[in-house]
Amino acid sequence: MSERLTALRETIRQILPQVDGVIGLKTGPAGIVAPYLFKPGHPEMLDSLALWPKEPVPDTLKIIQKAYPNARLAIVCRGCEERGVVEMFKHAQVSLENLTLIGLQCVQEEALFCRCAKPYTVHARVTVGSPIAGVPDPLTEAFAAKSQAEKLAFWKEQFQHCIKCYGCRNICPQCFCNVCALEDEKWVETGRLPLPNPSLYHIIRAMHMTAKCVACRECEETCPAGIPLAIHFRLVARDVKEMFHYETGAVIEQKPPQLLTLEEGDYERSGLP
Amino acid sequence: MTNSIPEFETDSNCFLIIGSNTSEGHPLIATRVLRAKQRGAKVIVLDPRKNQIGHWADVFYTFRPGSDVALFNGLLNIIITEGLADQAFIAERTENFEEMKALVAEFPAERVADLTGVPVEGLYTVARLYATQKPAAILYAMGITQHTTGVDNVKSVANLAMLTGNLGIPGGGVNPLRGQNNVQGSCDMGGLPNVFPGYQPVTNPETIAKFSKAWSSSLPTPNSPLSNKIGLTVTEMISAAGEGKIRALYVMAENPMLSEADINHTRHCLEKTEFLIVQDIFLTETAQLAHVVLPGASFAEKDGTFTNSDRRVQRVRRAVRPVGDSWPDWEIICHLAGKMGAGGFDFVSPQAVMAEVAQLTPSYGGITYERLEELGGLQWPCPTTEHPGTPYLHKNRFSRGLGHFFAVPFKEPAELPDQDYPFTLTTGRIMFHYHTGTMTRRSKKLDSEARQAYLELHPDDAQKIGLNGSRRVRVSSRRGQIELNVRVTERIKPGVVFIPFHFAEAAANVLTNLAIDPIAKIPEFKVCAVRVEALSGTEHRGGTDHRSGESERRTRRDE
Amino acid sequence: MEYHNVLTTCPYCGTGCALHLQVLDHQLVGVLPAKNHPISQGGLCIKGWNAHAFVNHKDRLQTPLVRKGGKLVTATWDEALALIAEKLSALKAESGPDSIGVFASAKCTNEENYLIQKFARAVIGTNNVDHCARL
Repeated sequence: MSERLTALRETIRQILPQVDGVIGLKTGPAGIVAPYLFKPGHPEMLDSLALWPKEPVPDTLKIIQKAYPNARLAIVCRGCEERGVVEMFKHAQVSLENLTLIGLQCVQEEALFCRCAKPYTVHARVTVGSPIAGVPDPLTEAFAAKSQAEKLAFWKEQFQHCIKCYGCRNICPQCFCNVCALEDEKWVETGRLPLPNPSLYHIIRAMHMTAKCVACRECEETCPAGIPLAIHFRLVARDVKEMFHYETGAVIEQKPPQLLTLEEGDYERSGLP
Repeated sequence: MTNSIPEFETDSNCFLIIGSNTSEGHPLIATRVLRAKQRGAKVIVLDPRKNQIGHWADVFYTFRPGSDVALFNGLLNIIITEGLADQAFIAERTENFEEMKALVAEFPAERVADLTGVPVEGLYTVARLYATQKPAAILYAMGITQHTTGVDNVKSVANLAMLTGNLGIPGGGVNPLRGQNNVQGSCDMGGLPNVFPGYQPVTNPETIAKFSKAWSSSLPTPNSPLSNKIGLTVTEMISAAGEGKIRALYVMAENPMLSEADINHTRHCLEKTEFLIVQDIFLTETAQLAHVVLPGASFAEKDGTFTNSDRRVQRVRRAVRPVGDSWPDWEIICHLAGKMGAGGFDFVSPQAVMAEVAQLTPSYGGITYERLEELGGLQWPCPTTEHPGTPYLHKNRFSRGLGHFFAVPFKEPAELPDQDYPFTLTTGRIMFHYHTGTMTRRSKKLDSEARQAYLELHPDDAQKIGLNGSRRVRVSSRRGQIELNVRVTERIKPGVVFIPFHFAEAAANVLTNLAIDPIAKIPEFKVCAVRVEALSGTEHRGGTDHRSGESERRTRRDE
Repeated sequence: MEYHNVLTTCPYCGTGCALHLQVLDHQLVGVLPAKNHPISQGGLCIKGWNAHAFVNHKDRLQTPLVRKGGKLVTATWDEALALIAEKLSALKAESGPDSIGVFASAKCTNEENYLIQKFARAVIGTNNVDHCARL
C-alpha cells in the first residue's frame, strides 16, 4: 500500500503545476479520510494524501465543476470512480474537458472488500499501481441461487430494517435528479418510520439505477442497517448487459439505453420543475 | 451510559429496550443493536407503541404507560424465584438484597400482568431471556425518566442489572440513551443546580473552597466564597419567575416555550419575567418573549466539544464563519462577563476553556484538544493525559462501594384517565424532527417529510369516539386543548394516544401535566389524561403550514 | 477555488455520530459521513445527512435585538451587552443573586456550558443554573 501511496503522491506532485487542482483523499483528525482538493502551491498538503477507505469522489468533481466550469482539474479515481465520472458525463453532470483522470488500481484486499468485478480503470492515461483481475461477489451469487420465494423473503427481511436515512441515494454519484421520486408522497409515504411499505422505496430506487449503477458500493457502505444493496444493482446490471449490450463506464461514446434526448424547449414544455 | 455503543455490536448477547423508540430517537444505536441481533443476540422491546425495533425484535410487548415499577418488580421476582439471579455478584458487589427481595415478592406475575397489561407468559419470557443471555444491556430513554416516578423507574432498572450481574462488564449495563447532542456534556460541565463540573456537589465545603479559589478573579470580591445553596431547576425557575421570585432569566439556546410541560403556564410565567434574555440562532417561541435577544452561532460556525451518550468527548469544528453579526456563544458569555467587570473570562479559544475544565474536573483531567485531534473521542473518566479513557463503568467496584438494591414500591402516575378524560396521552419524538423543531423544521428535506403534528389513535378507540372517517380531532386535558390531524394505527395500545411534541402550532405540551418527580424534578411528559373528540368534516384541508405556506397534506390510515 | 471537508459531531441526538461538512469557498455545500468512525461507521440518519441545512436559513438571527416600545428592534452588541450587564447588576443588588436564573444548553458545547455556569456561579453568585436535561 505505502508504495502505491508514494507513487500516487509523486504523480500528483508532477501534475499539480499543470492544473488548478487535484481531487483526491486526505487524512484528517483521528485518521479519518475525506475528499480534498489539492492545490498547486501547496504540495505540503500531499503529506496527508490517503488511499483508503475510498470516498464518492465523482460527486466532489461535480460540486467543484458546478462552481468552476472552466477549471482545469485532475481526479484520482479507482475503477468504480472512473465509471462514475464517465456515466455522470453521459448524463451531463460533469465535464471531461479540462479533466485529467489519474487511475488508481485497486489491490486484491480492496477488491475483495468491495466484491468488485472490475477493480481497475480503463480510460485514465495516467495510472498508479498495476491492474488486477476482478473477484467474484459471493453475496450476489448466493442470492441469485435462491428460489423466487426465498428471494422475496430475503428482501422483505432486509428492507424492514431500513431507517429511511436516504443515505443510499445521497451518497450515490449517479443520483442527481432535481426531483426525486423517493421524496414524492405519491410513491413513498413521507414522515413514517417504520415505512408502511419498506420495499417500495428500494424497488423504486433499484429501477432508477438501471444502466446507471457503476458498482462502487458506496450505498452499501453507508447503509446503517447493513442492507446488501449492491446485490440487486449487480443483478440488474447483468440483465442490462444481456438485453441492451450496455456496461456502465465501459465506452464513453455509447449512450445509456434509457437515455432520452430532449430537443430545445422540450424540458420547459414538459411542465417539470 | 455505563457502557459503550460499540460494545452493543461486539459484546452484548441480549438487549432489554424499554421506554426508548430507538430507531427514531437514536437511529444509529438501533442499527447497532440490529447488527448484534444478526450475529445471534436477543432483542426484547417493551413500549406502549410498536415502534420499528418492536417490528424486528425477538420479543415485543406493549404495556400501560406509568406501570414501569410494577413491571420491573415482577421481572425481579421471577428471576429470584426461578433461581436465575447472579448469587456471586449479589454477595460480593451489592447490599440490601433482602429488603428488595421481600418487596418484589408482593409482585407475583398475575398481579403484574393486571397492572401492566403484559401477559403472564410474556413476563416469564422476558425475565428468563434477560437473565440468561449474558452480557445483557438495558437501553432506555425518556420513556423511563419522564414520570413522577422517574427516579423509582431508574432504581428499578439498576436493580435488574445488579440482580443479574450485568454491571461492570462489557456489553452489559444500564444505558440511558441521551436525547440531545450535548445533554451529557452540559451535565458534566455543571449545567445543573446542585453540582459544579464533574458532579462535585455545591454543598461540599471543600468543593466550594476549591472553586472559590480557582475562580477568585471572577468573584465580586476576591475573598467572597461561592454559594453553597442548591439552586432551582429549569421547571422551578420558570414557576419562580411567574411568582416574581426570579426577576431575570438568561436563557442560552433553550426553548422552554415548547419543551416545558403545561406551556400555557410557562407562557404566563415568562411573560411575567421582568427581564428575559434569550441567546439563540433563531427567534424561537421563547425568544419572541425576550427583552434582549443575542444571536449565537450554530455548531458549524464554532469550535468546541460535545459529549455523547457513552461519555465520549468529541470535537466540534468550525467549518464556516458565523452568519451576519452572530457570535459563538462562548464569546458572548466572555464579553458579557467582562462588561460586568469580572475577570477570569479572557479566553482566546474553546481550547483554552477546556484546559481550565481539565484542571478543575477530575473526570476530564486528561482531555486535551491535542489528544482529541489524534485519537478522536475520549470517554470519561479520563483523569490524566496518559489515561486511555473508560469504555465501561463500575468494573470491580461501584463509585459508592457496594451497589445498593432499592425496594421500590409501585405508585400510579399523577393523573390517570377518568370519565372526563378517558385516554392516556404519551408524547415523544419522530425521526424527522428534533426537540422543538427550531432546526429541523427549517431544514427543507426534514420539513417535507413531516410538516405537522398528528395524534396516533388505535382503530378501536377511533370507533369509540365516533371518528367516522373524520381526520381531525380536538384533544383536551385539564391544562388546555389543541386541534390536529389523526392517524389511526394499530401500532399503539388501545386507550393510549401519542402526539409528537415538535410542532408549535399544535403543541403537545399544552396538554401535558406539570406534576414532577420529587427528587429529579422531571415533569410527567409520558402520562396525562386527555379527551379526544372528532371534528366534523371528512378531511381538513383548510390549514396552511406555518412555515412553508403549502397546504396540508392528507394523512393516511396506517398498516 | 477551495474545497475541503471538516470533521465534526452531529448536532442532533446524543448518539455522537461524526460527519463531514463539505465546504466550497467558505460555504457549506453538503454533508458526507465519516467512514471508520467508531460510532457512526460511515453511516448517518436523515437528520445527520441534513445537518447543514438550517445553518444558512433566512431566519437566522444576525444581530442582537432589544425590546423598545414593546417591539424587538436591532441593536449593536455593545448596546445589548451593556443593557444586560446594567440590568443584571441592578437586580442582583436589589434582590440578591438568587433572583436571577440561568439556563445552560444541551445544544451548546462543553466549553460554553462550562462558561455559563461559571458566569452564573461566580459573576452572578447563584446556583440557579440548569438546562433541558429533563425535558
